[in-house]
Amino acid sequence: MTNPAKKRILVVDDEATVCRSIRQALLCEEYEIDIAMSGEEALRMAENKDYEVMVVDLMMPGLSGLDLLRSIKAKNSSARIIMVTGYPTMKNTLRAMQIGAFDFLPKPFLPSDLRKIVAKALAARDEEKGESGASG
Amino acid sequence: MPTRRLIRRFLDLSLRRKLILSFLAVISMGGVLTLIIGTRLEHNTIISLAEAKVWHDLASARMVYQVRLSGISDIVRLSAAQEFLREGLRSGRSESLIPKLDEIRREFGLDILTLTDGRGRVVVRSRSPEIFGDDQSRDPFLVRALQGQIAAGIQIVVRDELLKEGSDLAERSYFKFVPTPMAAERAEDHEENGMMLKAAAPVLGEGGAPLGVLYGGLLFNRNYELVDRVKDIVFKGEKYKGHDIGTATLFQDDLRISTNVLDDKGNRAVGTRVSREVNEAVLRRGEPYLGRAFVVTAWYITAYEPIRDIEGRIIGMLYVGMLEKPYIDLRNRVMATFAGLAGLCTLFLLGLLSFVARQITRPLAVMVEATDKIARGDLSHRIQIEGRDEIGQLAQEFNLMTEDLHEAREDLSQWGRTLERRVEERTRQLRETQDQLIRSEKLASLGKMAAGVAHEINNPLTSILIHTHLLLEQDDDRAGVRESLMLIADETARCAQIVNGLLDFARLTPSQSIPSDINDIIERTLQLLEKQAAVRNIRIEKKLDPSLPPIDLDKNKIQQVFSNLTINACEAMPGGGMLIVTSRLSRDGTGLEIVFSDTGVGIPKDNIPKLFDPFFTTKSFGTGLGLAVSYGIIRQRGGTIVVQSEVERGATFTIRIPLAVSNEESEREGGEP
Repeated sequence: MTNPAKKRILVVDDEATVCRSIRQALLCEEYEIDIAMSGEEALRMAENKDYEVMVVDLMMPGLSGLDLLRSIKAKNSSARIIMVTGYPTMKNTLRAMQIGAFDFLPKPFLPSDLRKIVAKALAARDEEKGESGASG
Repeated sequence: MPTRRLIRRFLDLSLRRKLILSFLAVISMGGVLTLIIGTRLEHNTIISLAEAKVWHDLASARMVYQVRLSGISDIVRLSAAQEFLREGLRSGRSESLIPKLDEIRREFGLDILTLTDGRGRVVVRSRSPEIFGDDQSRDPFLVRALQGQIAAGIQIVVRDELLKEGSDLAERSYFKFVPTPMAAERAEDHEENGMMLKAAAPVLGEGGAPLGVLYGGLLFNRNYELVDRVKDIVFKGEKYKGHDIGTATLFQDDLRISTNVLDDKGNRAVGTRVSREVNEAVLRRGEPYLGRAFVVTAWYITAYEPIRDIEGRIIGMLYVGMLEKPYIDLRNRVMATFAGLAGLCTLFLLGLLSFVARQITRPLAVMVEATDKIARGDLSHRIQIEGRDEIGQLAQEFNLMTEDLHEAREDLSQWGRTLERRVEERTRQLRETQDQLIRSEKLASLGKMAAGVAHEINNPLTSILIHTHLLLEQDDDRAGVRESLMLIADETARCAQIVNGLLDFARLTPSQSIPSDINDIIERTLQLLEKQAAVRNIRIEKKLDPSLPPIDLDKNKIQQVFSNLTINACEAMPGGGMLIVTSRLSRDGTGLEIVFSDTGVGIPKDNIPKLFDPFFTTKSFGTGLGLAVSYGIIRQRGGTIVVQSEVERGATFTIRIPLAVSNEESEREGGEP
């Protein structure tokens, strides 16, 4: 909890370049962006830090994007997870949505599109937080 | 071995010939045997009949001369009893007796009539009165007469005695032998004695003592009265072809002295002699002879018997004979008739035989022919033989067998045809499946590769795109930088698009099939493209069957296929042309066929198999994925695309989609790498 004002975003991709590019695209004052190079790493990081949004690559060696999604969701995390993939298929898309992904973004994408979706995800989370905060 | 060869040749003959030959042999043997026996019997019968007749005729002839003899005997006896003879002898006035005796002699046809006294001295010779007084007492006739008996018989009268009785008689008796081929040898060459029928009776005085003897005679030599009478009485003068059938002869020893057998000049054959054979039998052995004999000029059936003189010596022969010719001719006629009848019988039998043989062998020939036909494969042939004999039964069995065979072969060939068809069908299916399998395999592996490649490329593309845009966002005003960045962004986007196409192909998103009208899909596809086609001077003709049933399809995908094919067709006709789009029910009724037929440049044969391969293209633009994707879509739906094309003649793409959605329709979306 270093900076409560900043939104915590975790970018998970097995390719460092992609991770850095995504961070670059999202880089701004409001966001605190971490990078995980594998599903396992992402899971560990999520233990220690409560991320509002996660941008997860679908296909990764070891723990795959879907596995990670499933694990995060199993922990009742409030993180909004945006799936990205260089090989978007209807099957994977549907499965990801079923498990609880916030959105699905095929690679390659424009930085603007990514920002929009992340913003949308944060807004949706805030809305939910607000609601839950108001109620509880 | 000629016999064995003959037997083998016989066995090799046709059944009919064998039958005929066998029967023929039997008939011929029977015929020949009958002919031989018949001839024998008939010959024996005819000849023995003839011989019996001749034998009988000989007896008749003997009777004739015995009658004549007894006639002479009677004349002599009765004359001897006349008173004037006794008177003349007693008185010694013999001259007065001459006319009376001569009268008697002439009246009764005697050659001699002579009177002797009691001692045997000639008193009167009625024929030659000038000679008398000679002693005749040793004459056997006189010996008997002087003893008071009447003697009658035949006697050889020597020439001297004949001369005494009358020189003409000696002359009549003289024969110079005519050379006769088969006669026995004789030392003499002539005959001078005569043979006489003679009788002597005593002229008895009172008291019974003979006063003298009267004897009379008939000289046979050249006297034909007797033999002609025999001929007339016995044979009734019958003639055969100008010859007398019956002949009679008197022989003195072996010499013909009186006969009606004629020589080759038509004269009586006196002076000729009998054959040696007859001579031996009759003259030497004293037996009668019966049988064939060659008489002077011809063969006769003859009978001879010896003539004995009063003392029992054989002095000559009596002969009767019948010309053999009539009997031979008769026999020949009978034989000819017999042979003719036999021949006719044989012919008739042969005819019958060949008929019977044909009746027996014809069904066999028919069967042989049938077997032949069947052997050559004509199993529909049936034997037409009626009748219930063994052959008829055989034919029936044969027909049944043939029918079975026919059916069996029909079944077999039917089965063979079916099998052949099935094998063909299966081979075709197998080949198709194999083709599709190969293609599917190719596509599948390619899909996997594409997915991998796409994934790997998309990652760097993501980075490039993001960074390019980040740079663009920085509003760098330096000349050219922004343009360059824009270009990088655009080209990266294009890369992304290509990768997307690749992914489309690899992915083949799941179908959302709903019952659709195929014609409607075609219409909608063409509607979008018609304007472009018209610009390119291409006419599109639709031949759509309005009665097609609805079919479960993913409309969008099928439209993509139709669109691909239409665009391809248009691009194949750069100078314009015609595209005919046909929809119809497949021939077997289980699917729909949509045909795109253009008049374009066509596809080289070598390219046809590669046509549906991904990335295969002949165009300078395009990804080479259009047909591959189309093919994938149709395959996914369980259908096929078939191409026929000839260069410069256009191409025809036939899409076939089964009406039923098959189970194997897979949602091949490509696996995760």
